[in-house]
Amino acid sequence: MKLIETDVLVIGAGPAGSSTAKHAALNGANVILLDKKSEIGAPKRCAEGVSKEGLKKLGIKPSCRWVTKELSGVRLVSPNGTDVWMKEDIVKLPEAGYILERKVFDKFMAMDAARAGATIMIKTLARGMRKDFDSYIVSCESMGEDFEIKARIVVGADGPESRVGRWGGLKTAVKPKDMESGIQFEMIGVEMDDPDCIEFYFGSVAPGGYAWIFPKGDDIANVGLGIVSTQTDKSAYEHLLKFVANCPATKNAQPVELNIGGDPVGGMVKTLVSDNIMIVGDAAGHVNPLTGGGIITALEAGKYAGEVAAAAIKEGDYSGERLKEYQDICKEEIGDSFEKYLKTKDYMSSLTDADLDSIAKAFKDTEFENVSTSELVKLLIKVSPKALLKLGKLF
Amino acid sequence: MIVKEWCMYCGECAGVCPRCLIEVREISLIFNEEGCKDCGICVSSCPVNALTKEE
Ligand SMILES: Cc1cc2nc3c(=O)[nH]c(=O)nc-3n(C[C@H](O)[C@H](O)[C@H](O)COP(=O)(O)OP(=O)(O)OC[C@H]3O[C@@H](n4cnc5c(N)ncnc54)[C@H](O)[C@@H]3O)c2cc1C
Repeated sequence: MKLIETDVLVIGAGPAGSSTAKHAALNGANVILLDKKSEIGAPKRCAEGVSKEGLKKLGIKPSCRWVTKELSGVRLVSPNGTDVWMKEDIVKLPEAGYILERKVFDKFMAMDAARAGATIMIKTLARGMRKDFDSYIVSCESMGEDFEIKARIVVGADGPESRVGRWGGLKTAVKPKDMESGIQFEMIGVEMDDPDCIEFYFGSVAPGGYAWIFPKGDDIANVGLGIVSTQTDKSAYEHLLKFVANCPATKNAQPVELNIGGDPVGGMVKTLVSDNIMIVGDAAGHVNPLTGGGIITALEAGKYAGEVAAAAIKEGDYSGERLKEYQDICKEEIGDSFEKYLKTKDYMSSLTDADLDSIAKAFKDTEFENVSTSELVKLLIKVSPKALLKLGKLF
Repeated sequence: MIVKEWCMYCGECAGVCPRCLIEVREISLIFNEEGCKDCGICVSSCPVNALTKEE
């Protein structure tokens, strides 16, 4: 059987894998980046919201080819329709962002990896792997051909499936209570009060998660929700149909696309490396447990993973001990902050629709100056004695 | 396992399968039925109810 050798093999060309491949290649490693998809980025499994700050920090310049909408505010809606508006002209929104076209964005990130020197293989599925002294041999299949890739370091960037890590002995299986079942229509004919603002809907519309409307320009928007299957008897799809039928903004809207996917919201996986293997992105739990956002953290973690992998290749040391540098950086930069968002999410899930309505009412009467996810939780603690008890020490 | 025609291969089932038995290909799913202990987690987690157990 054909055997290809490389320093670093990245499995999965989502934001995490492409970023890992790019930074490993930039730092001198031989890199292969493979994905089973025939088109990188498609189908999308995402609501496509990112923060401008996040992209800027990573040095990724926004392009009109993949930014569909620049946002200027947020609208939070409680079960009885009480809404809280936060707009940039009045309050500071450090996490304000863009809505992307991820089918294009993901492809652009892979192109960046290729320009940095990585070899890309599309329509190529990784099927399993075995240890071979100080490397892994990964079984692959592409367009009917079986072959193998021998890599000193394998990077599992395979998204919510997170199987590569398990092949390498890491504990990446996601518990059902920690997996957000996401579902979404991209719709036209969406009538939003302000199409420059993203909207979040809380309560029993989406048990264990929330519903969203993310505008993509004109009358187009991603309309979706995430639920936790252990908290409802209905499927995510049934919840979505009900939401779309009842929400005033989507009464006259029609779907042009259906997207589904899992979003691991249980926090960062404890062990991200072992000898000759690293995991990154959704596969490593690099998703904010409260918001479900994982694009920026996938790109960020990919940068750290790529840099550490390339350094390890240069030193000829691919041991778990050497690669642990990556895990330590991730813990400090990403994982630690997730702990408190995880607790907030658990607390939010415990609230009834009536609780949420009264919190929304209190929020409505508050003047905001600076709004970010953590500022919002701080405010929540101020208005809700129950939240103070559960979260007071964390924020 | 019976995979209904409306499966979209999103891979959520593979992520929650505690035994790592589900291979998600671009347009098919392969179950390693031998290792399956019938826990039913994949069935209940599917966002579009596309999985049912064989009777
Ligand atoms: C409904 C929904 C809405 C979301 N909305 C947002 C949002 O608005 N903002 C945000 O920041 N995040 C959002 N997220 C989360 C975000 O989509 C993910 O965190 C992000 O895509 C993670 O990137 P990744 O590279 O880790 O994984 P992915 O983007 O999932 O990429 C993994 C890649 O690996 C490939 N792959 C898997 N297994 C193999 C294999 N064996 N062989 C070859 N290739 C393989 C897949 O084909 C895929 O291309 C949302 C998620 C969902 C489900």
